[in-house]
Amino acid sequence: MNEIIATILSATFVAAVIRTTTPILFASLGGLLSDLVGSLNVALEGIMLIGALTAVIVSAHAPWYIGVLAGLAAGGLLGAVMALFHLRFKADIILVGFAINIIAAGGTVTVLTYATGGDKGTSINIPSKAVPALDLSFLGNIPAIGPFLREVLSGHSYLTWLAAFMVYAIWYFLYRTPEGLRFRAVGEYPPAAEAAGIAPNRLRTYGLIASGCLAGLGGAQLAMFSFVGFTRDMTAGRGFIALGAVLLGRRHPIGTMIAAVLFGFFEALSIALPGILKWMPGELIHTIPFVVTVLALMLSSRRKVTA
Amino acid sequence: MTQGRLILSETGRIVMAAIFALAVTLVIIFFASKTPWATFETFVTSPLSSKRTIGIWIDDSVKLALAGLAFSLVFQARQFALGVQGQVYIGGLFATLVAFSPLGTTWIALPAGILAAMIGGAVIGFIPGYAKSKLGANEIVSSLMLNYIAYDVCNYVLRVYLASLESGLTTSASFPPQSIYPAFIPRTRVDFGIVVALATTLVVWFLLYRTAWGLKLRLTGHNARFAAYSGIRSSFIMVSAMTAAGAIGGLLGAVFVQGTAYGKLSIGFEAGMAFEGILITIVARNRPLAIPFVALGYGYLRQGAALMNYRADVPAEVIGIVQGIVILLVASSFTVPGKAMLARLMGNRTAASRATS
Repeated sequence: MNEIIATILSATFVAAVIRTTTPILFASLGGLLSDLVGSLNVALEGIMLIGALTAVIVSAHAPWYIGVLAGLAAGGLLGAVMALFHLRFKADIILVGFAINIIAAGGTVTVLTYATGGDKGTSINIPSKAVPALDLSFLGNIPAIGPFLREVLSGHSYLTWLAAFMVYAIWYFLYRTPEGLRFRAVGEYPPAAEAAGIAPNRLRTYGLIASGCLAGLGGAQLAMFSFVGFTRDMTAGRGFIALGAVLLGRRHPIGTMIAAVLFGFFEALSIALPGILKWMPGELIHTIPFVVTVLALMLSSRRKVTA
Repeated sequence: MTQGRLILSETGRIVMAAIFALAVTLVIIFFASKTPWATFETFVTSPLSSKRTIGIWIDDSVKLALAGLAFSLVFQARQFALGVQGQVYIGGLFATLVAFSPLGTTWIALPAGILAAMIGGAVIGFIPGYAKSKLGANEIVSSLMLNYIAYDVCNYVLRVYLASLESGLTTSASFPPQSIYPAFIPRTRVDFGIVVALATTLVVWFLLYRTAWGLKLRLTGHNARFAAYSGIRSSFIMVSAMTAAGAIGGLLGAVFVQGTAYGKLSIGFEAGMAFEGILITIVARNRPLAIPFVALGYGYLRQGAALMNYRADVPAEVIGIVQGIVILLVASSFTVPGKAMLARLMGNRTAASRATS
């Protein structure tokens, strides 16, 4: 037990939590934006997966930031497709989202097969690039807490810092701009927003596109940092966990971030534990993030239940 | 609408969906294959190429139908519980435990295994339902999380207690013969599973359309507020629908492991098939009696895609793309543009604008 606590308190573990949180944070911020305007985006998982593969393939032929932008664009495009089918063709948003997930699961493997020339598992023979790490080792010069800060904050992906900034940016947008007010109004009570002359479907479209872009970024981070490359089903439920973070985060960017960090923490724990608790079966350690998500939802949900 | 007209229009929808699926596949094959026509021919004809492939097609359809039935129950109640995959793993695991217990070599092995699997699945179905009705936890996320948990738990029990060096580390030993379905046609996968699927179809139909519970469930699905005003306890309907669907998911798990295709427990035996039930039930518009037909049709395409993978240069996973696009098209009530055009041709403006809106 002491060993676990020592691990959790160590600077390397905190840094690991930041790393595992980043993709989830991107996706859950995306989920937040679409949930706010009234469309729960269950496709985060699939969009992340497609974003990851797009980023990997494009980055093999272009600089890393073009790869990241391609992941973002692929996500945005999928968000637009969702908006088209949901808002224009009146399909149920949950079904649209799941259709995207199914297309992503099959489509990424199909594309991967062609991109690698027959490998259905990984993109190991594609020379994809990584997102560079931001070196903050000068923090080590600060007396006393310097080394700790350096361990925790230095060497993270540029995208990690972007994700942290996005929390602030989305908060600013939602609570300090007129468009953000409209955004929240549509989610709270659409008829009132409509009466005030706001077209809900326009904002819902923006919400879904933005949500796709952010999930695409999450996918890019997943495939272009620490582990570089694409593997089949590499999101492994992170998009669904991010959806849990959206529901847990009380429709607020800060709340969403806290929930994302919570799930990032348990993911990092499930990565660190096999080295500490050797007697504990790997399969059961692997369930930790999922169990925590279910429990967190059960213990925290106070939303009014409608059938 | 009379019964006959209804059957006709629903058949039309299903045929339309099939045409969509074929068209989408053809487009993908044209992009993906060097010899598109030959590949498409393989895709369309290969499932009928031998007794063995026909058997696999039928067996897949049985499983797809059961997955579709499980989803149809919750979708009729407009609950998006997506936990069939987890129920299949737990059901399969429970059926396996029965098969290796002393019961496994007696005549009671099959019914006991099926019952255990259904109970296991029902528990997995009940959890998100209860969590939603009592604690307000979103059923989509909690049921998806349970899928991952169930998969890991099943693999854990398999690795630690059931797998051995002789059986290979990813599977259990074969079940005793009393715990495996009798095959109806020797050396094919056509087995007792067909009876299970057809019986389940009838039971689900009966529950939904011939019982008070089913009426309440469908009312809740159509209009939850109306149902609540008329005194239906929607939370009870919600939980019971998810639990019953869970039992069907568990049953599917038993059909997987007890069927002649496996006759044992293997890692990842479900191979993503549970989620394909979504397509089945969407195309069948959640109507139990239509589900076996849709399952046969989709099972055929699926088998065609799998064989295309071996005999041509297009990976089987393209079926996922086809599947997703068909769900998108069917869920967005694809008859609308046609109707609008027809109305416009008839000079009926208001009908046209209503149909497009």
